Amino acid sequence: MTITNYDPRILKAPHPVPGAPDNWKRFFSFNTDAKVIGIQYIVTSLFFLLVGGLLAMIVRGELLTPPADLVDPTVYNGLYTMHGTVMLFLFLFPILNGFNNLLIPTMIGAPDMAFPKLNAAAFWLVPVFATVLMGSFFAPGGPASSGWWSYPPMSLQNPLGHFINGQFLWILAVALSGISSIMGAVNFVTTIIRMRAPGMGFFKMPIFIWTAWAAQTIQLIGLPPLTGGAVMLLFDLSFGTSFFRPEGGGDPVLFQHFFWFYSHPAVYVLVLPVFGIFSELFPVYARKPLFGYKFVAIASFGITFLSMIVWAHHMFYTGTPNWMRHIFMFTTMLIAVPTGVKVFAWLGTLWRGNLRLNTPMLFCLGGLFNFIFAGITGVMLATVPIDIHVGNTAFVVAHFHYVIFNTIGLGVFAGIYHWFPKFTGRMYYEGLGKVHFVLTFIGATLNWLPLHWAGLLGMPRRVASYDPEFAIWNVLGSIGAFMLGVASIPFILNMVSSWARGPQAPPNPWRAIGLEWLLPSPPPAENFQDDIPTVINEPYGYGLGRPLVEDEEFYVRRSQEA
Amino acid sequence: MTTTTPKKSPNIGAIVIITIAIGLNLVIAKMMANWSYSWFPPQASSAAPYVDDLFALETGIGSFIFFGCTGFMGWVLLFNRAGKYDESDGAPIEGNTKLEITWTIIPLVTVFLIATYSMNVNMKLQTLGPKHKYAIGTDPTVLIAKDPKADVGPIDVIARQWSWEFVYPNGVRSSELHLPVDQRVNFRLISEDVLHSFFVPAFRLKQDIIPGSIISYSLTPTKEGRFRLRDAMFSGAYFSQNQTNVVVESEATYTNWLKTAADQPLQPGLDPGRALYDRRLARGDKGWATVPPAPPPQVNDPGDPSIPHDA
Amino acid sequence: MTGINPDVQLNHTPGHVKHDGHNMTGFVIFLCSESVIFLAFFAGYAVLKLTAPQWLPDGVDGLEVRMPLINSVVLVSSSFVAYGAELYLHARKLWRFRAVWLLTMAMGSYFIYGQYVEWSELSFSLSSGVFGGLFYLLTGFHGLHVITGVLLMGLMLVRSFKPGNYDNGEMGVASVSLFWHFVDVIWILLFLLIYVWQ
Repeated sequence: MTITNYDPRILKAPHPVPGAPDNWKRFFSFNTDAKVIGIQYIVTSLFFLLVGGLLAMIVRGELLTPPADLVDPTVYNGLYTMHGTVMLFLFLFPILNGFNNLLIPTMIGAPDMAFPKLNAAAFWLVPVFATVLMGSFFAPGGPASSGWWSYPPMSLQNPLGHFINGQFLWILAVALSGISSIMGAVNFVTTIIRMRAPGMGFFKMPIFIWTAWAAQTIQLIGLPPLTGGAVMLLFDLSFGTSFFRPEGGGDPVLFQHFFWFYSHPAVYVLVLPVFGIFSELFPVYARKPLFGYKFVAIASFGITFLSMIVWAHHMFYTGTPNWMRHIFMFTTMLIAVPTGVKVFAWLGTLWRGNLRLNTPMLFCLGGLFNFIFAGITGVMLATVPIDIHVGNTAFVVAHFHYVIFNTIGLGVFAGIYHWFPKFTGRMYYEGLGKVHFVLTFIGATLNWLPLHWAGLLGMPRRVASYDPEFAIWNVLGSIGAFMLGVASIPFILNMVSSWARGPQAPPNPWRAIGLEWLLPSPPPAENFQDDIPTVINEPYGYGLGRPLVEDEEFYVRRSQEA
Repeated sequence: MTTTTPKKSPNIGAIVIITIAIGLNLVIAKMMANWSYSWFPPQASSAAPYVDDLFALETGIGSFIFFGCTGFMGWVLLFNRAGKYDESDGAPIEGNTKLEITWTIIPLVTVFLIATYSMNVNMKLQTLGPKHKYAIGTDPTVLIAKDPKADVGPIDVIARQWSWEFVYPNGVRSSELHLPVDQRVNFRLISEDVLHSFFVPAFRLKQDIIPGSIISYSLTPTKEGRFRLRDAMFSGAYFSQNQTNVVVESEATYTNWLKTAADQPLQPGLDPGRALYDRRLARGDKGWATVPPAPPPQVNDPGDPSIPHDA
Repeated sequence: MTGINPDVQLNHTPGHVKHDGHNMTGFVIFLCSESVIFLAFFAGYAVLKLTAPQWLPDGVDGLEVRMPLINSVVLVSSSFVAYGAELYLHARKLWRFRAVWLLTMAMGSYFIYGQYVEWSELSFSLSSGVFGGLFYLLTGFHGLHVITGVLLMGLMLVRSFKPGNYDNGEMGVASVSLFWHFVDVIWILLFLLIYVWQ
């Protein structure tokens, strides 16, 4: 059904309508519709994925050869610092908030978020702190160059002595990002607790909602200490205090505690929603219920709780005593248990399914494959004697990129392809999607698998130059990185041309079970509006012949006729 | 109405295949564990065999899990794929509580066992000594007693942006760390500016060096050779170059070296950052901000960076 | 514009989800998060106090407790006063509410003034070692919250003159009151940590 005359009610609607003119204006305004905000977050973060990726290309270009011959070492240090910072704060956190915005209201049958204006404000902080962070490239002395951790005393050195310097702007940007995230977290948690559809008790919620809730709870508890640590760092940098400065009696290791108390749980903030995406997609594309739904749901909060007590595994060889190292080794290894529950649940979901290997499923399978590997190297890193050897080497870089890109990144792509038809109203091109997958999977494996061996042999991380014996691993890694750069091309082409002129998407192209699939593609403002379905069964009822909601056919027809 | 359902005969085929698969997996896991030893530099300290054995154990267990799970995925991909126009559902299985409990308990017990074993291994290493904070400007060495179990030392390891300096008990200062083989040596780790890290891959040991603190650290080298000592905690512009060598030699050679070095006059030691910084200044100080390198340590033996290292 | 047959029997009555009334939930969640930042600062204070080679700056023996104790009594009592104001509001005795609310604001302002006086009489500064930095950081951060509380109370006071302001409930005043109690509890902990544990 193409729209040929533009009914003024459609034009005034806050949600985008395929084919209508002036769609783009909605995305550049202070729009309070969660579905618009979601797309604002996602597109903004994908732009910064490219920025972070470009920085990575330069880093891997430098590491192609042993000597530091591409850029000045100080420039290298700034580039890798900003690569990490951009990827985390301008790509990963925003894109997951984008998914939250699109999926939370629609999956629970709510008309919008609990606090729509707060929602929009949280998004618009992103361009603000993005400008501050990108602007820091032009600060006197260059951007922050002490790694994304900004460990003092290194980060306090401020060689040129200016008040406004790259590190200062970095702290400011991260603080603003924290404020934006807390605004989002309050919104998401309130919405999930208070605005679920009638009949949707906690154990009838989709797993994505469970994991989003678990992740945002971590944000609420974990972000404040980071903000506190950042404020103290800022004061040390700019106002002459000595919280972390040894000359004034401060303790550099204390910063590490503040920093990691948030930043470890932060990685679970990143991975939990992707676990949610896997839990949503495997049932759809295997046409089977999720295996062990209740265990998977509870495991989400098991991870939340455990994630708060593992932080010092980042400090096994820094300034911690042995008893502390042992405690955190135990808690860190424990976290493998709820994570394992999820992995086995996905494997159980695949078993005897009827698998359809389209792009979202391929990304999920690739992500799961990589995650099993990453989880194992994670247990190795949790082992104190092993971590003492491989800590701060390329082994760690390989491990965390295996989680962050090879699992989370692939999961994010899976989610984008899966929900693209729902929220843009267009189908993407499947062929290009498969090309994107193949290039990404091979590129990512080539980029980080070899680095494990470089680390075991003793190559430190964050180096611009290295001893010649590490060359082969780095050449392989750099080839993989360049391949990943190339892989972005089919993705961008697919997204842009599909959204502009892809075939129109039906309400439920994947024949999936979920409240969001009972809405038109794209859903109207306020989603179900005044007629919210009553949920009567658990989710993922594939092959069980039971409806998700009361009067399901009514809602199906309603979505098709809108 | 009672009916007796015929007892399903056990699926012999499935049991055979699963047994073979598990057996194959165990063999591959053992092979991976053995292979993992070759992924490390040579073992040059008493700690190294412990670390390598633990890593081999985890590689074995990890390989078993990885190939088991991904083999399972491969099986599913081979035999559970839907035909091109097949839109039917899969088997409507929602779960199996017994199985779920099993795969919660078994990993729980496994990680607990691994953690306990690793804790014991870590305690066997016996490397980390006390750490004391001191007020900058005072002498930190008075705060730390020598490790009573050490035969050699205490040797002060002084890390700077971007050089290493080693000070021996008899006053000798050196840019390369000479050690006698098979004797426990005690270090006092000191940083003059920012965080650094004492990392010798061949020893499998690493300890960060924290400004404002002095840390006692001990180890026993077990193999003669020339091994890299790298700064493993990011410390600024020329951090990559902040490396030197550990020269492990026989007791006689070591004692000889100590005597000879004591007679040599003090001269600027290995200062890898300096040359790069001077080159930067010559090009007009182009680049992003950095502190200038610390002045080179004045040492009796500046070492010879041109001699190739073993690991 | 749907073509649904109006004669089809529906088993459900169209479900509705509340659009508002979530403000208090959101605010409570926010306060829980805010409290963690204070807890983090408290932890930092404790760790540094126990491990710093030199805790107090030269020439400083400790903090005077009498004046801060008086300020604390004023601040903590103001929580009870605020509660009294809430009761008046609940009974819709608006003028009494405004008077008692204003009294709360006055007590809060007195606390800020007292803090300022204490600061100006101290012999150490923000950059006086670990203790100096922590003292000003903690009391300053808390003071910011008190000032915010007083300003929010002022906003509530102004709004109380709007006709029909409380037709949908007293959520605004309840939230600000909760914030004020939060600020008070934090101060009690702070007082114990900094002034009592010396």
